[in-house]
Amino acid sequence: MPAHLTIDIELVPAHHFTIEQLTAIYNQTRVDYMVPMPMNAARLAEYISTYDVDLRRSLVAVTPSGEMLGVAMLGLRSSRAWITRLGVIPNTRRHGIGQALVASLIDQAAELSINFMMLEVIKNNTPAHQLFLKFGFREIGELLILRRAPRIPPLPPIVADAERLDRLDAMDLIKRDRGIQPWTNQSESFINASEISGLRVALADGSRGWLVYQRQKFILTRFAFKTEVGDPATVAYALLSHLHYQYPRLDTHVENIQIHDPHLPAFYRIGYVEAFRRIEMWRGTPPRQFSFC
Amino acid sequence: MTKILLIEDIPDNAELVRRALSATGYELIHAADAETGLQMALAHCPDLILLDLGLPDYDGQTLAGWLREEPALNATPIIALTAWPEETVRLMVESYGFDGYICKPITKTRVFVAQINSYLKTHP
Repeated sequence: MPAHLTIDIELVPAHHFTIEQLTAIYNQTRVDYMVPMPMNAARLAEYISTYDVDLRRSLVAVTPSGEMLGVAMLGLRSSRAWITRLGVIPNTRRHGIGQALVASLIDQAAELSINFMMLEVIKNNTPAHQLFLKFGFREIGELLILRRAPRIPPLPPIVADAERLDRLDAMDLIKRDRGIQPWTNQSESFINASEISGLRVALADGSRGWLVYQRQKFILTRFAFKTEVGDPATVAYALLSHLHYQYPRLDTHVENIQIHDPHLPAFYRIGYVEAFRRIEMWRGTPPRQFSFC
Repeated sequence: MTKILLIEDIPDNAELVRRALSATGYELIHAADAETGLQMALAHCPDLILLDLGLPDYDGQTLAGWLREEPALNATPIIALTAWPEETVRLMVESYGFDGYICKPITKTRVFVAQINSYLKTHP
């Protein structure tokens, strides 16, 4: 048992558990979170698949009697790793379980010669933030989680040459350089996700850009966007006005937009509100090929 | 009898609400996820809906949007139950058409019941 642990646990690879068991432990670790974000088994399975979570390298903290006390998952993409779904059930915190889980995930990545790790932590979750700092993660910036309610009437789309894009065309755009994106918004997340399509607009003044998104049954989500020419806020407004005019009855949930993203004014102008913030943290140096993720 | 639909996924929280309302004479019905909550709302037409914002299938904001689309439920008060910071909750309540919110954890039964009574009176 590592020295910092004051409770007897074993870290068991997550693939030894059913998706229902993993869902249960994940939800139990979040019951007292300010933003709990519970999941059912289907949503967790989709999450694992979309974000390349490797259950063989993810871990569950278990007591000798088999009680599950915590979980931590590891996403793997070529030379990058991502820590996610880390949590310990409330009455067993401050016994070193979170520390043991993070240390083991870092070891798992190191075994694969992966030295660059990413994660996001909810802003003001001080214990988790401190834990990651202790393990050498550093703050990169703040990320916004935005919502737009379907009851907000869409404004007429601004005059532009707008083209709807099918999945293939959207995938072509998503692979283009968008700078270093948070894990959830990297190309692979879109490639793994279903119901991806896109929109491209060109304005009379020559401005142009594109938006790729996921349209689920009730929600628009998972946005990637780029202004190719012109003012980003203007191009984003054109894109969003067309999108919401097209889908006036869908709720919208956009995750992990960087706080200094120049497209943001258009989101607020069209009725998006901030739900909460995350802090993005990195450990190590991004690999060179990462710039196209 | 006044009927309240509670949509809350955490059993302990649901039990807390059940206990708090046990002496009021209100009938409490309960769903643990958004899809079941929508079905129960349509089937029972409750007088008030208490809606947790964090649900395992679709979150409370999305469900509030569905509920508001249903003509039979259009006037039913929907109250958000949440531990989010008040400033954020106010934004969500206004944006998504909730009729109000109650902050979790529910620690004072009398205050909680008074809040419920007040929402029922405002939306008879």
